[in-house]
Amino acid sequence: MRRLWFFRTIFTLMVLTPLSLMAYKLLVLDYHLADLMPAVSYHVDISMQANGHGDDMVIRTYLPKSDTRQRISAEENSSGMFALSIQSDGNNRMGTWRAENISNQQTIRYSFSARISHVRYRIPKNMAIPRSYPPELEKYLIAEPGVQVDDPLVAKAIEGILPNKPLMVLDVLTRIHRYLQDQFKNKNFSGFTDALTALKLGEASCNGKGRLFVAMARKLGLPARLVGGLILQPGTKRVSHQWVEVYISGHWVPFDTINDHFAELPGNFLTLYYGDQVLFKHSRNINFQYLFKTAKRLVPKAAVKENIGTSPLNIMNIYTVFERIGIPQNLLKIILMIPLGALVTVIFRNVIGVETFGTFLPALIASAARDSGLLWGLIGFVFIIIATSLLRRALDWMQLLHSPKMAILLTCVVILMLCMTSFGVYAGLFELAHISLFPIAILAITAERFAILDAEEGFIEALKITGATLIVIAAAYVVMNSLFLQSMILAFPELLLITIALNMWLGKWIGIRVLEFFRFRRLILAQSA
Amino acid sequence: MSKSSSRPSLWETIHESAKHVLAINQRNLLYVYPHNPRRHFPLADNKLLTKEALIQLSVPVPVTHKVYRHFYELRKLEEDLSRLPEFVIKPARGKGGSGIIVISGRKGADWVGISGKLYTLHDLKKHISDIIFGVYSFGLNDEVMVESRVMQHEAMNAISPYGLADIRIITFRQQPIMAMTRIPTLASEGKANLHQGAVGVGINLKSGCTHHAIHQGDPVSKHPDNGKTLIGHSLPFWKRVLEITHLTAKSVPLGYLGVDIVLAPDGPKVLEINVRPGIEIQNANMEGMREILESHDTFLRRS
Repeated sequence: MRRLWFFRTIFTLMVLTPLSLMAYKLLVLDYHLADLMPAVSYHVDISMQANGHGDDMVIRTYLPKSDTRQRISAEENSSGMFALSIQSDGNNRMGTWRAENISNQQTIRYSFSARISHVRYRIPKNMAIPRSYPPELEKYLIAEPGVQVDDPLVAKAIEGILPNKPLMVLDVLTRIHRYLQDQFKNKNFSGFTDALTALKLGEASCNGKGRLFVAMARKLGLPARLVGGLILQPGTKRVSHQWVEVYISGHWVPFDTINDHFAELPGNFLTLYYGDQVLFKHSRNINFQYLFKTAKRLVPKAAVKENIGTSPLNIMNIYTVFERIGIPQNLLKIILMIPLGALVTVIFRNVIGVETFGTFLPALIASAARDSGLLWGLIGFVFIIIATSLLRRALDWMQLLHSPKMAILLTCVVILMLCMTSFGVYAGLFELAHISLFPIAILAITAERFAILDAEEGFIEALKITGATLIVIAAAYVVMNSLFLQSMILAFPELLLITIALNMWLGKWIGIRVLEFFRFRRLILAQSA
Repeated sequence: MSKSSSRPSLWETIHESAKHVLAINQRNLLYVYPHNPRRHFPLADNKLLTKEALIQLSVPVPVTHKVYRHFYELRKLEEDLSRLPEFVIKPARGKGGSGIIVISGRKGADWVGISGKLYTLHDLKKHISDIIFGVYSFGLNDEVMVESRVMQHEAMNAISPYGLADIRIITFRQQPIMAMTRIPTLASEGKANLHQGAVGVGINLKSGCTHHAIHQGDPVSKHPDNGKTLIGHSLPFWKRVLEITHLTAKSVPLGYLGVDIVLAPDGPKVLEINVRPGIEIQNANMEGMREILESHDTFLRRS
């Protein structure tokens, strides 16, 4: 009786403590649940391919820059024989890959993460077009190749849409925008179109419309420039995009007359360069190909971190504690999510009745697969386990004692992982390269258990358990990568006590496991008949 | 209750019927943990300790010829083994019958296993050092037992011609609850392990008669290798088997046990005991254990 009373008390504490701490944070410390919801982040992968014929090769492109609207992080370069140098070029950031005596097909991969905010400007109705600008803006008012500001046709087009009255910024831009958006057909053409051609044809792609917009704005005394970038959508594409920006009282305000964004830019428009530039420049005759691969991810908002870090009364101020000893937030997140992964494994084992390798292996693999992605994580796991257990079979022939044999297996796992990582970097498979974060010792033990199962109960049985383990890894991965849960646990680490409570409850659960219904189906049916 | 008026739903029926089955969570929480104190687990997990306890109450067990705990003891291995015409090498803490070698004779300088495989002195030495090093007991150091080989009673040879069959009896509070015999097949390579393809044959506890059998999870009535019927056999010494089972349960402070017995020509012998006996025995008997266990529990509580 006393034992039961203790159990219930601990259980209640494990539930009530985190709940009251949460309430305290929300009510007294001014946490906002809305800030805890994740933000969108894009992972962009630019892959470039070229065929060399023994000559030197140069490939240039513009790389994104962090600014007030977009934040670029986690840049990675995998370029084999090419050396990358990055130069600042006015407003732009130019990446140059150089290599000597290149032959055969070469692949360059450059990837980064981008978090972009959606921006929208309100232009006051009665703001007049200024008569003069600071000298550094002069270049945004004059003609340049492709942007024929002074051509009579441009002046004529302006006359056609603007009645003669004092010119207001908002009115002028609205009319130009509507003119180009509504009167011009969007054309899916990737070549170069100058302002005049676009005007004459009455149809254009993004760069033609952009140049015409810039020409008309400049003609009317509004500094304007082209912007080149990408519209980020999950998947692969080859199409880049151009839009324009107009300088209005200290701000460069965006306009896109292909997608009808007026003084507004959505959160998936990535800026790569400013001005009338060509995105890729490269040596001749190299059969240059490129591809943009985009994945969408959810990440915690920066506000969460600031919010939590600055709370003076926060007893669970884990951020500052971890930062002080130099542990990055990512690692902290992984550590905090492992109990949830373990909980998923417990549910699969004790409620569903699936047999897996180890209780914590699925959670650990799932957390390690965070950087490699689920698919590559699973592929890497299966490869390492099966390759290592085959090696173990070979070791059987040497008839070694247990401990030295395990040490050799561990070394094999390390070597395999090094090979996979090098191969991943070499082949441009960053996902595979991240497999080196796998828990090495646990993989060695798992490989040993796989081999024992294989020997004692057959390869099929060993594969069955491997398959079940893969399912549980996938489930743990989904739960551990839920941004909602991550944000919640980061903000309220006391929720880990709830997982203890849940495990206490599951630890006393005497229900029949789902798969046991199947195992004893005949018995159950015979009883009910 | 209003339920009686309406027919129960399929789910209710299944749930109600499933209550007869002892599932693994129940086995652990209701029987293993409360009745088998952890500190006594070594008594069951280490066959040497088990034997010591069983001998106290004169439970028949195979004779131990030799025990090896250290490598230096292996220097006299050849001399030790040469005295024995046949023997079994066993890890004291092995799991699931792994690491066991049965030797039936000699051929020149080599030893002959029951499958006909030849073992050199080096092979046996290596195997014994592996056992000491804990290869068969998950990394713990282990002890090696050299035991007398237990032969099978003729009556058992009739239903188990491909290896040594054992009898598994579940006991609770020293009372037998359910029994089966595990019969090796060609597929199980002589091992009495249901996972590896042995046949599980349910035994009527009162009469000692086989009444139901399963192979690879499916009900069968004939041996998968020779097609002979497995049902309706009366096992020899059954009364003695129950008596020994009771004595075994009495000799260890463990309330819920799986007792493994072999029927030798001169009577039953206990091979080992298990503190976490499997629940497949219910399928072998086509009967759930839960109610039987509960009746013992309430009976003993009242008295």
